Amino acid sequence: MLYKNERVITLGKKWGLILVFVSMVTLIACSNNNKAVSGEWSPKESIEVVAPAGAGSGWDTTARMAAKIFEEEGMIEQDIGVVNKPGGGGAVGWAYVAEKAGNPHHMFIASPPIIDVPLNGQSQYDHNDFTPIANVIADYGAFAVRADSKWENLNDLFEDMKKDPSSVTIIGASSPGSMDHIQFVKIAKEAGVDIKKIKYVSEQDGGTLTALLNGSADVYSTGVAETIEQAKAGKIKVLGVTSEERLEGEVISEFPTVQEQGIDSYFVNWRGFFAPPDTDENAIDFYVSKFKELNESEAWKEIRKQYGWDEMFMYGEEYKDFLDEQKEESEQLLDELGILKNE
Amino acid sequence: MGGLEGLLSGFQVAFSVEGIIFVFIGVLAGTFIGMLPGLGPISAIAVMIPISYGFDPTIALVMMAGVYYGAVFGGSTSSILLNAPGISGTVATAFDGHPLAKQGKAGKALAIAAISSFIGGTVGIVLLMLFAPMLASVAIAFGPPEYFALMLVALTAIASLSEGSLVKAFISGVIGFMFATVGIDAQTGTPRFTFGMTNLLSGIEFLVIALGLFALAEICFLIINSFKEKNNIHQNIGSLKLTKSDLKEMKGPATRQSFLGFIIGVLPGAGATIASFIGYIVEKKLSKRPEQFGKGSIKGLTAPETANNAATSGAFVPLLSLGIPGSGTTAVLLGALLVLGVQPGPLLFEDEPTLFWGVIASMYIGNVFLLILNLPLIPYISKLLLIPRPLLISLVITFCMLGVYAISFNTFDIYLLLIFGVIGFLMRLARFPAPPFILSFILGGMMEQSLRQSLTISEGGLGIFLESPIAMALFIVALLSIVIPAFKKKTIT
Amino acid sequence: MLKTLNRKIAVLLWCIAILYLFFAYRLPSYAYVPIDSNALPIILGILLLVLSTILFFEKGDVENDKLNINKTDLLKLLGVFLLIVLYASFLESLGFLIVSTFFIFFCSYLLGYRKHVINAVIAILVPLTFYLLFTSALQIRLPQGVMPF
Repeated sequence: MLYKNERVITLGKKWGLILVFVSMVTLIACSNNNKAVSGEWSPKESIEVVAPAGAGSGWDTTARMAAKIFEEEGMIEQDIGVVNKPGGGGAVGWAYVAEKAGNPHHMFIASPPIIDVPLNGQSQYDHNDFTPIANVIADYGAFAVRADSKWENLNDLFEDMKKDPSSVTIIGASSPGSMDHIQFVKIAKEAGVDIKKIKYVSEQDGGTLTALLNGSADVYSTGVAETIEQAKAGKIKVLGVTSEERLEGEVISEFPTVQEQGIDSYFVNWRGFFAPPDTDENAIDFYVSKFKELNESEAWKEIRKQYGWDEMFMYGEEYKDFLDEQKEESEQLLDELGILKNE
Repeated sequence: MGGLEGLLSGFQVAFSVEGIIFVFIGVLAGTFIGMLPGLGPISAIAVMIPISYGFDPTIALVMMAGVYYGAVFGGSTSSILLNAPGISGTVATAFDGHPLAKQGKAGKALAIAAISSFIGGTVGIVLLMLFAPMLASVAIAFGPPEYFALMLVALTAIASLSEGSLVKAFISGVIGFMFATVGIDAQTGTPRFTFGMTNLLSGIEFLVIALGLFALAEICFLIINSFKEKNNIHQNIGSLKLTKSDLKEMKGPATRQSFLGFIIGVLPGAGATIASFIGYIVEKKLSKRPEQFGKGSIKGLTAPETANNAATSGAFVPLLSLGIPGSGTTAVLLGALLVLGVQPGPLLFEDEPTLFWGVIASMYIGNVFLLILNLPLIPYISKLLLIPRPLLISLVITFCMLGVYAISFNTFDIYLLLIFGVIGFLMRLARFPAPPFILSFILGGMMEQSLRQSLTISEGGLGIFLESPIAMALFIVALLSIVIPAFKKKTIT
Repeated sequence: MLKTLNRKIAVLLWCIAILYLFFAYRLPSYAYVPIDSNALPIILGILLLVLSTILFFEKGDVENDKLNINKTDLLKLLGVFLLIVLYASFLESLGFLIVSTFFIFFCSYLLGYRKHVINAVIAILVPLTFYLLFTSALQIRLPQGVMPF
């Protein structure tokens, strides 16, 4: 809004007057944006949701689905647009949102990488640089092996790995120090494996499952959803999932959890929405109430079922504490692996 | 005979009024998206996912598949007319397609591209229909060592992509490879050559380089030559008609590349781009007049256009028969299936025969649509070249900038586009060929990763390559493709 | 010594290779893989050194050695580059419509197009069509900038 006023000075009188008029009208129309207005806040212009990854990714899908339901169910009247800002495992998108400090019409979707990527030294922003709104869903990791593999459960696998960690190749889609690697390392450590000797191969061109099936890799560390159909078809065995309790649903309810195999650990791939730094509290309150509404809606339940996501609703202090806890855990693991980068 | 029943019900869906309408919408959108430089099928399909929520899954997939192969079909247009590849699968199309357009044969070039695409696409669908379940084992036969060998075979072609100085071709290739090392290294997580720039962390987008080196460099040349040689480009489009000898030229590459392209498409991770490059290189090696390649050879245009469309059909093999996405685009399609309530996986063929066969059947219709949609449009589309040169240049630059921006919504990529435009321009001034640059950029990254993945698995031992018969066979091919031409040269001189 | 163009280029490439190698050697090491992230860059750097040395001693073709670009064309080219830089710098703040319109109009003008009315009409209509196609038909957002839609 500001530069419209500035420009007035340099333009001719007639145009200047018109512009002044136009700016006044817009200023009045937009004046509710100002923080001074107490109590109820609501968006005055369209909302931009950033997915810091490419179209079709997990972040992108979650954001687009949430935006769709907000609009379709009429929960938020303003337009909600999802914008993709891929790059650097999220770092490009975070840098973009960080520049929008104080602007309540922006938000982005985040998950564990916003904790791991900065710890790997690949982003200068971490979750503390933003304003958490609410967490909405949880997804879990799964460890799969070929159907004809000699390992029947996680303990078999970890027994072998304790003897010779480097005899087993783990494959995943993320780079070392990020999700697929960290979830495996976390569980393996609890089981007593020397995590420094774990052989992890990163495959980012979509060949992970192929590599498992043709024997190039022994264990596939991934999300639960990726394993369901292959397990159903009897091509792979899921040795363990990282949820605390058994998942509900066809096929997935047969996957044993890590905990029931005597390894006291778990890993959550949480997904939530964050606002730019210094976002006004009233705006956050507004969004929290909207996400609550979303979380309870039938339409969203349907989406969750479709994708096999779990409900995991958190906001405010609870969410912040959870994030800090997650960071501490990751920090320890990465430090032990020797890939923690301190700025 | 569950298969036959499924096939019939699939054809029923595909030939229903609804099916035909949505195939049409899909291929129309695809053609358009393909023509726009930069905007690819991935983003188009991703934005369709929320829209298609609640659709009949078969119809939705029929439409999205249409977008995919429609884009590969349409991508050739801007490659040929403007030297601005619409999508990465049509970069190789520009090698000979654009020279043809410059010679005043734009109409003919577009017709050849359309017909080759149709042949490649259709043969690919026949193969997909007949062999999809059987080929599933081919799709998973390739692990890191085999991919490394395949990339090596393709890279040996650098020498054959050169005109003039061989050293310059190799230098061009090495520099292309160097650009492929920019970004976070997948195996170690170490950022390489990013100089602290967040925007470089995920590496440089292939299309930014392709549009810079080809389209923008070409434009620089047009500007430089604008006054000296006014009639440098014949501003006519020529006739669409193909002569008998044209068709004869096309026959060989179209037949071979339909099969080769399809097989490469089946391999996860390879896809249309690599298929088109390999198709081009193979035909150049087989040709009796390889010196015509790069200067408007009909074979050189037919080969990549057939191969990339055949590869697109091939990419559906791992997706439909195994539930494994072989490329970025099929990964998004996989996501779309999930939303539609279909679990893509090895059981899809048995659980959802209507969907499986419906999509395949619709691809026949889609390809016919594409042909009848594209052929009559050629005279109109090629009139683009008749737009006054200054206006055309500014419009092409705008398309390129928009396209590059739409890949990652980052203005940084526009600056990069400019940088690569300047590099491409300087390379052409100094007679360094651009194709080796682009080839080793795209293959180099994959080659390095597969090499290092293999060696991590084997803990540094080279035995992993010797144990794989496929890899060994490919190494021999690579060796032969270096030795034979050298031997030939010696015997001739 | 630096008479031919090839030799000048060879020296330039030599410098690039040294610089590339310098940064390649400075890459941090990672203990858990047999081939580290700097291995391939080092090979590439050395390869470029070798190749540019060969280029230096290769006989250049005489005809290629002269670049004749006339000055006005060069200025035009630089003008277009400047417009591209301006486009990128203002795309997100002013919005796609405005910058594209300005770019098409001024770039065509710079390159010698003098039919201003046609130029203006195209410069407005083409970006508008694309904008609407992207935002409505494809649901892909382009920078809106200061425009109301």
